Amino acid sequence: MRFLIWDLVFVTFHFYRTNYVDTNGTENRQSAIANINMATHADTLEHDHYHPPGLQHQFEDMKQQEESVSLGMWLFLVQEIMFFGGLFTAYLVFRSRFPMAFAAGSNHLDAFLGGFNTLVLIVSSLTMALTVYYAQKGDRIKQVVLIVLTMIFGTVFLGVKAIEYTDKYNHGLVPITGLNKKAWAGEQHAATPFTFPFETKVSAAAVQPGTAEDKYVNPRGEFLWKDTALVQMALDEQKADPDGNYLTRAEQIGYFSNGQIDANKFRDKVRMFFWIYFVMTGLHALHMIVGLGLMTWLGWKAWLGTYGPEYYMPVEMSGLYWHFVDIVWIFLFPLLYLLGRHFGH
Amino acid sequence: MNIPKYLMIFGILVVGTIVTYVAATIDMDWIFPGANTLVALLIAFTKTTFVMLFFMHVYWSPKLIWLSVIASFFWLAIMFAYTMQDYLTRSSGVFTV
Repeated sequence: MRFLIWDLVFVTFHFYRTNYVDTNGTENRQSAIANINMATHADTLEHDHYHPPGLQHQFEDMKQQEESVSLGMWLFLVQEIMFFGGLFTAYLVFRSRFPMAFAAGSNHLDAFLGGFNTLVLIVSSLTMALTVYYAQKGDRIKQVVLIVLTMIFGTVFLGVKAIEYTDKYNHGLVPITGLNKKAWAGEQHAATPFTFPFETKVSAAAVQPGTAEDKYVNPRGEFLWKDTALVQMALDEQKADPDGNYLTRAEQIGYFSNGQIDANKFRDKVRMFFWIYFVMTGLHALHMIVGLGLMTWLGWKAWLGTYGPEYYMPVEMSGLYWHFVDIVWIFLFPLLYLLGRHFGH
Repeated sequence: MNIPKYLMIFGILVVGTIVTYVAATIDMDWIFPGANTLVALLIAFTKTTFVMLFFMHVYWSPKLIWLSVIASFFWLAIMFAYTMQDYLTRSSGVFTV
């Protein structure tokens, strides 16, 4: 540090002198630049001339570089946490107002596929953690194999996600008008095709048959939702137990018109759930795609034998990113897929 | 960290996922409304803690990293709390119709 300060003093002084002398001729300037070079390299010359392979000039040693690099990466992740946090806040606000609409929407996500994807991401996190482990050991082949495995699991995750999105498209559950398949009258959407033996079946048949004269239930590809069973359930419970809190204040206004359940008003609240679902999982999937790009680069560098016990920070930092994406999914899975699973008795 | 320890953390995460799934199918509303969500979040935070401490090596990191991690969740909590103290104290009107 002491040398660094002296370097700065020297450099400042010589620049000052350079500019001053420059009016007299270029010869002095060149000698001044030579002085600067001497000054900036003064401290390296004093030590023996060994540089660790990955050490950048601005750092004193590898330890300082590693700490700086990981702090920078963590600050990036902190802003990512805040970025996803904004979306979680939106989720919190709307769900606290319309829990039944969220539960109804959630019951039409495939919890089995969601759970499968959670496991896939956890396995990929393990392979990533082991990649860092072998990078520190300097084992080139195991690094590359594990990076490829991580990429395969990441791709499986995205593939399952694509299957789910297709299912939403086919059943009119994409919240944007025009981005849904036009459903024929009479088509049914059975909720959660797969249920475990111990699991209670959730309400099926979101789409009731349309009227006979309609060729399509949603001629412009609208968001489709007719099922109000959960509102009815909460209403029945409320009537049986007038002191209980089965519908929030917002729900008591937001689901009803003239004292009757209004399917259209309820549909709009469910649609809000699907907006949040698509934005959050979509952004998460985007992070996965970025992660796969990162892994491609990392795998190539690892193949070239770049990383070893002395220099492995790129592996470690990519690992941090990958684990972060995993953590986001750890929260998305219960909050989006499982929130209404216990209803439907 | 060695490989058995990594596998142990992995096992905890898998068990956590399965427990999350099973717990979500059991109706806990008799305890208090929203108990299911609380249980799901508790498991999620436990899993996150394991991932951050051991997979992301926070456990062996300098104090500054610990501080960043904790501060990020603290700020998140402030964001949630201040948003909800507004929304939960409004009687009605916004986002109801």
